[in-house]
Amino acid sequence: MEQQFTLTSEVRNDCLILVTSGYVNNVGGEQIAQEFSRHFEAGTRKVVVNLAQSKVVNSIGMSFLIDIVDQLNDAGGKLVFTDLDPAVEKMLTIMGLFQFAGKEKSVDDALASLA
Amino acid sequence: MKDAITLKMSLPKIPDIELVAIEGLDRLARHLGIASDKIGEANILITEAIINALEHSGGEHPEVKVEFTMTKQDLVILVRDFGKGFDPSTVADPAERKKAGGGKNNRGWGLKLMKTMSDDFSISSGDDGTRITIKKILS
Repeated sequence: MEQQFTLTSEVRNDCLILVTSGYVNNVGGEQIAQEFSRHFEAGTRKVVVNLAQSKVVNSIGMSFLIDIVDQLNDAGGKLVFTDLDPAVEKMLTIMGLFQFAGKEKSVDDALASLA
Repeated sequence: MKDAITLKMSLPKIPDIELVAIEGLDRLARHLGIASDKIGEANILITEAIINALEHSGGEHPEVKVEFTMTKQDLVILVRDFGKGFDPSTVADPAERKKAGGGKNNRGWGLKLMKTMSDDFSISSGDDGTRITIKKILS
């Protein structure tokens, strides 16, 4: 079970696409937040987070994503999650993330919803 | 409990030690022929219980005792720390705190997640530490 956290990012159609792999804990959450901040300060307001390769997450790591959703919501932006494991999706639902963030099956679907 | 298997471990307070428990659970599940998609929520429950316990454990050598008892039907998780304990009734619901405009603190979801995602949850806490018992139906 490979759980080493890695994060990759790209910008497509003015959207920041963040792709995680491995365990999203406090360290992983902070890395996501730092990468987001770099793009947010440059004006990016649409974000896609692909969690396909993160089957294990914790609430501290996810709290960084709540912070990001709050910031985007305040700035008129939006975040969409994709490729969620059912258990992670349930966790994010309990944490209220889908009140302001979206969810789609794939990155392409997310990009279409943000267009 | 018929055909139950038990795994006990003592976890020191080092980064990501909860992944050892997750690995142990995965091996128990495979031994019993339980598909990995059946234990996704159990993985989250274990992770939250252990990081919560490690956060509250105290002393010079903080550690957490973890015990899984698993059958094909269900999993019972026992997590115990030896910290100062706390009053669970005073822990604010993070969703309610946020609704009430409780600042920018988005942490403190562990207890809420364990209560909501489990099929049975109990917690007792005192001067000698905190004991959490969680039941998760797998079939």
